[in-house]
Amino acid sequence: MLNLFCSLALAETIIPRDLIRQAMNHWRGVSSYSEMTMTIHRADWQRSMSMQAWTRGDKTSLVRVISPKKDAGSGTLTKDNNMWTFAPKINRIIKIPSSMMSQGWMGSDFSNKDVSKSTDIIDQYNHKLLETRQQNGHAVYIIESIPHEDAAVVWGREIIIIRDDYVLLEQQFWDQDNILVKTMKALEIKIMGGRTVASVIRMGKVATPEEWTEMSVQKIQFDISYDDSLFSLSSLRNPRR
Amino acid sequence: MNITLRMAWRNLWRHKRRTWLTVGAMIFSNLLLVFMISLQFGSYRMMIDNTLQSYIGHMQIQREGYNDNPKIRNSINAIIPLANDVRKKINSNRVAARGVAFAMASSEQRSFGLQIVGVEPEFEVNVSSLPGLINKGKYFSHINAKEIIIGSILARNLRVSVGDELTLLGGGRDGSFAAGVVFVTGIFDSGIASVDRSMAQLPMGYFQSLFGMGSHGHSIVVNAKDLTRVSVLQNKLTDIIKNNNKLVVLNWEILQPGLKQAIQADMASAWFMYAVLIVLVAFSVLNTQLMSVLERTREFGTMMALGAKPSRLGRLVITETFMMSTIGLLVGAALGYVLTYYLTIVGFSYPGMEEMAARFNLPDRMYPSISLLSIFLGPGIVFVFSLLASLYPALRLFFLQPVSAMKAV
Repeated sequence: MLNLFCSLALAETIIPRDLIRQAMNHWRGVSSYSEMTMTIHRADWQRSMSMQAWTRGDKTSLVRVISPKKDAGSGTLTKDNNMWTFAPKINRIIKIPSSMMSQGWMGSDFSNKDVSKSTDIIDQYNHKLLETRQQNGHAVYIIESIPHEDAAVVWGREIIIIRDDYVLLEQQFWDQDNILVKTMKALEIKIMGGRTVASVIRMGKVATPEEWTEMSVQKIQFDISYDDSLFSLSSLRNPRR
Repeated sequence: MNITLRMAWRNLWRHKRRTWLTVGAMIFSNLLLVFMISLQFGSYRMMIDNTLQSYIGHMQIQREGYNDNPKIRNSINAIIPLANDVRKKINSNRVAARGVAFAMASSEQRSFGLQIVGVEPEFEVNVSSLPGLINKGKYFSHINAKEIIIGSILARNLRVSVGDELTLLGGGRDGSFAAGVVFVTGIFDSGIASVDRSMAQLPMGYFQSLFGMGSHGHSIVVNAKDLTRVSVLQNKLTDIIKNNNKLVVLNWEILQPGLKQAIQADMASAWFMYAVLIVLVAFSVLNTQLMSVLERTREFGTMMALGAKPSRLGRLVITETFMMSTIGLLVGAALGYVLTYYLTIVGFSYPGMEEMAARFNLPDRMYPSISLLSIFLGPGIVFVFSLLASLYPALRLFFLQPVSAMKAV
């Protein structure tokens, strides 16, 4: 009943920007801890990695690989749009230069930017509600987001599809020639950690349907308080178990 | 000797000066054409040699599809044994295996993304001029050394010099993290900014372990002794790899299509100039023959009155041109050959060329390339156009009336 009331209230005062912010907050919470598996799929091979991720607010996160053994301990720390990566093989922390931010994150189809700057879309884009649709008893909002003239963004526009319970169903990335380049889709939606969230997300380039990366969340907890030192370079290097 | 030939020969030398002037124009233009075409061919050969020898090579054995889609997984298994096998079968050391990957290189202060090429140090020197362009430090000590050579611009950007440490970070063939620490052992200066800025080489053994390649690599570069033997060698290579249907042999025209296009574009613009020269010569022949026909109107009228048919007179005029053109062709080509041959020995240079050439790692002298084609192409065309130019004067004879012609002034 409350849910219904919420969605009704939402329907009356749809501000696309707020909707996106709500969706982001819904997914991250004030803070979150999650365990997930990332599967990178290619035409002739596939590879899975399991990892742990801690997030706080919009701009702070720490991700660490647990398996396979060869890569265990590798991780990335993002803080205020900066990204550092740690390679245990050589025991070094390296800051990713901005020129490399559009490269794949950990060899996946998610770019470093996708991972570190996903909330830029709130501040650096103009949003417009294109359509409201009914789907499986939910209202679904289709929002077009066009970056500001001066935004440091490679996309021409993005289409974001959000369900009335703030689950982000799909995000489409269109380039400046108005060609759909890649899409991120929620493949499975579940109640986890007390919230309805997308538990399986797939990112794939449109030109190469055989190549995609899937994030499958096994466990997620929201609103945990962390020590500041968790999001530091030394914690990136030395995991505290 | 046929009477027409004899008459033509005598007619020519009745106006010695005029004949020699026309023949002289032909000789001069032929000489110029031989020289310029040979020089042009020579400079193309130099362009090709230098571009290909710096990195690409004459031919590469690759996995099918790699050239269009150079992904790290499009690789050749057991590449070093395959390279050894090819070396043995074609009995040449100009064969070297390579691997290619992308990584981020970081120094203490900076990071840049770059192309990393794994090479066999022992054989790479035979197929690429890059090892010879190292101006600081040296080439790799052995195939498994944790050493890297980088371009001069990259070294400046990263603020490193020989002996410094670089961290490499990228993705391996198996999807794992590739991370390694290497020492800068040499810095090369190829003069090509894109290469100096974003290319680095590692020894193949270390490259394979760093990028999780196993025994894989991406290409085997094969160079022929010279460019003319490329196609023969390509057939040989195709034969060697025919048991493995996943491999292909690609020659430089496919590997570096821009080079061929550049040559064709240059050729087109050069031919524009040659065309002007050829047309000028053709007009000078037209002028001579027309003059000689008009001047000899009474003579031709008399001959016709004596029973000579216009076709015979036309043949006469064309034969005269044929003789002049032949002299022009032979003497021009011979002089052109002598001049060009001299230049192939001592080389050709112009002021300022040395400085420019040194910057691009080119030899400081150009050597024309002599072949039957380069000698006879230009003069041959001049010859044909001269004959065409004599058609009009010859055709005029068909409209000659014997009586009025004999009375012409």
